[in-house]
Amino acid sequence: MLNLELVVLATLLGGVVAYLLSMINKRVGSAVTILVSGAVFSLLAYYGFGNSIDQTVELIPNFVMFKVTALGTFFAVLVSFVFFMVSFFNPFFAERYKYPNAFNLLYLMTLAGVVGVFYASNFITLFVFFELVVWTSMFLIPMGKGTKASITYFVFSTVGSFAMLYAIIFMAVGFGTTDIDTVLAGLTGTAALIVYGLLLVASFAKLGAYPFMVWLPKVLGNAPDPVSAVFSGGIEKMGAFIAVLAMIKISPASAMFEAVGLPVQNYIVGVIAAVTIIVGTMMAIRQDDAKKLLAYSSAANGGYILLAFTIGNSVAITGGFFHIFAHALASTAAFLAIGVVTYRTKTSKISELGGMIHHMPITYVVYLAAIISMAGIPPMGGFISKWLIFQALIQNNLVFLATAAFIGSIGSFLYVFRPLAALFLGQKLPKYKDVKEAPLLMLIPMIILTLLSVVAGVFPTLFLPMINNIMTELGFQTLMTSGFQIIGFNGTLDPALVAAVFGTGVLVVFILFMIFPKSRKVGLMDTYTGGEFIYTEELLHYSADFYAPLERLYRKEPFVNKIYDSIRIKVEELGAFVRYFFFTNKPEVTVFWIVAILLFIVWGDII
Amino acid sequence: MAVLLIAIPLLFAFVSILNKKYAFYLLALVAAFNFVFSFFLEKGMYSIGGFGPFGINLLVDQYALIGLWLLNGLFFLTVMINLKASKKLATVLIVLLAGINGLLLTNDLFNLFVFLEITGISAYLLTTENKKPVSSFNYLVQGTVGSGLYLLGLVILYSMIGTLNMSDVISRIYTIGATPTTLLLPFMLMFIGLGVEAKLLPFNSWVKGVLEKAKPLSGTLVSSVIAGTILLVFGRLLTTVMVISNADMLITIILIATIIAGEVAAFKSTRIREILLFSSIGQAGLVVYLFTHGLLMQGVLLIIANVLSKFVLFTIGASLAEAAGDEVEELRGAFKNNKLLGIGFTVAALSVTGLPLFFGFVVKLNVLLGIFGSYDLITPIIILVVSLIEGVYFIKLLMKLWYGESNVQIKNVLMTVSVLSVAVVLIVLGVYYQPMMDLVAPIKDEMIMIIQGGSF
Amino acid sequence: MIQIASILLVMLGLYGILTNRNIIKIIISLNIFEVGLNLFIVSLAYVEGGIDPILTSHSASSTLSFVDPLPHALVLTAIVIGVGTTALGLAFAKKIYAKYGTYELDEMGVE
Repeated sequence: MLNLELVVLATLLGGVVAYLLSMINKRVGSAVTILVSGAVFSLLAYYGFGNSIDQTVELIPNFVMFKVTALGTFFAVLVSFVFFMVSFFNPFFAERYKYPNAFNLLYLMTLAGVVGVFYASNFITLFVFFELVVWTSMFLIPMGKGTKASITYFVFSTVGSFAMLYAIIFMAVGFGTTDIDTVLAGLTGTAALIVYGLLLVASFAKLGAYPFMVWLPKVLGNAPDPVSAVFSGGIEKMGAFIAVLAMIKISPASAMFEAVGLPVQNYIVGVIAAVTIIVGTMMAIRQDDAKKLLAYSSAANGGYILLAFTIGNSVAITGGFFHIFAHALASTAAFLAIGVVTYRTKTSKISELGGMIHHMPITYVVYLAAIISMAGIPPMGGFISKWLIFQALIQNNLVFLATAAFIGSIGSFLYVFRPLAALFLGQKLPKYKDVKEAPLLMLIPMIILTLLSVVAGVFPTLFLPMINNIMTELGFQTLMTSGFQIIGFNGTLDPALVAAVFGTGVLVVFILFMIFPKSRKVGLMDTYTGGEFIYTEELLHYSADFYAPLERLYRKEPFVNKIYDSIRIKVEELGAFVRYFFFTNKPEVTVFWIVAILLFIVWGDII
Repeated sequence: MAVLLIAIPLLFAFVSILNKKYAFYLLALVAAFNFVFSFFLEKGMYSIGGFGPFGINLLVDQYALIGLWLLNGLFFLTVMINLKASKKLATVLIVLLAGINGLLLTNDLFNLFVFLEITGISAYLLTTENKKPVSSFNYLVQGTVGSGLYLLGLVILYSMIGTLNMSDVISRIYTIGATPTTLLLPFMLMFIGLGVEAKLLPFNSWVKGVLEKAKPLSGTLVSSVIAGTILLVFGRLLTTVMVISNADMLITIILIATIIAGEVAAFKSTRIREILLFSSIGQAGLVVYLFTHGLLMQGVLLIIANVLSKFVLFTIGASLAEAAGDEVEELRGAFKNNKLLGIGFTVAALSVTGLPLFFGFVVKLNVLLGIFGSYDLITPIIILVVSLIEGVYFIKLLMKLWYGESNVQIKNVLMTVSVLSVAVVLIVLGVYYQPMMDLVAPIKDEMIMIIQGGSF
Repeated sequence: MIQIASILLVMLGLYGILTNRNIIKIIISLNIFEVGLNLFIVSLAYVEGGIDPILTSHSASSTLSFVDPLPHALVLTAIVIGVGTTALGLAFAKKIYAKYGTYELDEMGVE
């Protein structure tokens, strides 16, 4: 039996140990993070799937209570796996941080908090660990570039957290207890709608759904690369967890939107999810910085997850969970690959790079596999989940949402292709002649993640028992499978067959490539046009302004940013007014107000 | 026996005037004595001079004991940390100590006025350390007007009910059968009078002048120790004496305005001491709000959390500002070379914001539960929005202080040690908060017993 | 009557603090405020037809109608406190003059 509380406490203690050891030698401290996160993952996986985790709490006082559920185990194992894989990168990036000792401490504290969130039994525990993750991850962000990103993150995260807190206390006062299952099952009527809405606000803030999308590109673009990977693969999944709690466990009875057979509030959430997908995809297409591009892609995929849970039948929900799984693997791998590029070349702007495949072939393959999965192309895991989601969308006649999802899929191919073609393919820049492949320790996690993605795509039924446990726990039907095939509404999917076809195609093309003569190599900056020499070759570089015609269609930023800025300015103006009016140099202001209030009282007395 | 807490400081204050050379050692001695002796007090009502119920009584109950332990301890620490400044102001500090203890112990309304003035005058004198005479003068004028109004309210009340004992007021009110309308005027006057000292809007224009250039000694004492005392006194008065039921609307408006104005003004500030002082104003408003709505335990918890956090924040903030300048822009990266101080500051700031693992989170949770419990749905929204604003400016401050290039270095071992120990206390209390809850629990029952029986 | 007069004094003092710009005048207004306050307190003590609250051979019993002595004690204390505050205020005024060379708040510049 594995005592859960010990796991959490040991992780925290491991963080302190890492801090102390880092003061001696930075690499050793980072190695501690690898060991501890690996230990957490393997213990949780081994005992979790064997259903023998002990949830008693002795040391931490009585407001922290754990409960082991299949849902929690799924999320916890997945996220701790992500942390474990990313921690392999820590020793290499340690020199670049301003406070490397604190980095290791905070990294492990975040892991402890995340595990605590997923296994929480009552809402107070959930909230305590949720906020813990917020502030520990917030301090990880500025170790990259700039400090403004963490403030944005804090604002949006806290908006979500406080919405959740309001809902929690609302329920606590109403029910007298904060146990998650009791409370969620007992909600009815308007109270249910209010709590549903508030919890969803928290979920949107964490996932980066529209209109809270603003923090994702800023944070993931400015944070150090391991942190970006952890955010995208791990912390955002907390938002998905809250969404599951809200949408699946509460069933507010309200008007049904007859045309599509969904309750109204579900449809509204679905629309928001669809908007997220489209806006995220569009914004991703025009990004020049590879990390910001992947950030918008994470937001769009978060939209897919929300969409899946909105629909509410067993196929869709299985698809949602599978997408969480596949996206975590793929997005982590993609960020890690970009991390390798940044580690070797110190930049992540696509327009400055090119031809990296010649230097880093393995990284290229990892990245290729990851983006194929994110775009939803077989034989990767992302295809399976998108197939399931599309099945459910079509089955329920959700025309608008389905169109948005399809557009998002096509757009996702566009934006994943951009870094691939521009960054890895293409011609080498003379500046980066001596760039080498990534070190072995960095290659290991990337290869593992890629292999897992492939297996998830070719033999998804291997991972389905994990999800089926959750489905039965939540009270839904599990997905029907037969052998290695998945049975959906409109047909059967045989992933192995699809993968085999795909593989055959690749093989044929490869043979053709080998047979035919190759093209001639030309220096990259050697351009001219119409007999004139060019002085600004960088702008005419192969990968600058990659999708210019498409981008010209929507040149301006989405308007939400301006609203947030104006809110901030209004608050500042209010502050300035208060300072000017009330806090001056002369004693008369106070006396004036005293007299005014006294007159007010006396007037009331007389009248 | 409790009288010793007041008498000894006063005695030694006079002695120290005669003998300027040893003034500081007397100060240290008296502060230590007070801190230690306050642990040996027994609860009860002590009558001064044996004049029975007609004279001045001192009341020692759980509420007073918590205040005594906390404030005497912090006073001692603050004095010890700022040795140079304390040496010059030793006599004033001893008198301040007497005043604080008197405020916490007394059970007589007029005695409260006297100690209020004593504490006030010592505070005015302390602020002369800032070398800004106009602000100190402002403080003096406003403080005197406030105390005068308090006195006015006090005598009107006396003329109605004939006693000055705090524990007897309510029973006499019921005996006479005075209606809330007639009681409105004296109680509002007393409220306003105390509100000036307690930093409620709109009576607090002195705060900015006094604290914006505060040195570590005076700033910490005024914003942490004196503020805590005044708020505790205010709490006791609001719960056991004042029956202001039909001014609820007015008081609520004043308090909510205080909370919002304080936090919003801090959001705009770019100077570290201004940020801290406006945050104090906002928190003070919240504390008084809790007391006026009967949430006694939560109010005391918030006072404790605030006093501890502000002690840390002001000590470090004022030292940094003295060393390198007030604008946060000039202080960027100040913690690079002062990591331990930075950790202490971060812990205290996160505690004020209410993030978990720290005591401030426990307090905030209790506060929200309490307010929700009285079925008030709008106020929690205001408090949460204000907390968000507060969090934002503290995080902005923290980020700027940790990331930058600055060569400030503060070497004061005692300061580092005491700041870190308070930070550790905040963390420990955040996780194992049950002992604190047990400490605070008897207060409500004792207050009720006092009101009903006159003693317990 | 006296009560109305003393309240008028209080209001005059407050008005003085509100409108004056000269530091010395503010201190004087503060004093007027305190004088009014003290007078008010004394006036509260009066009992119609009462005699001095002192036990002498002529008025030996304690059940006779005495004027209330408690506010007299309060006033004594309040007067002393007022004196102390005024002294401190004047010391501040002296310091302000030494620093700025003027007593007018307007001429001192915004801080």
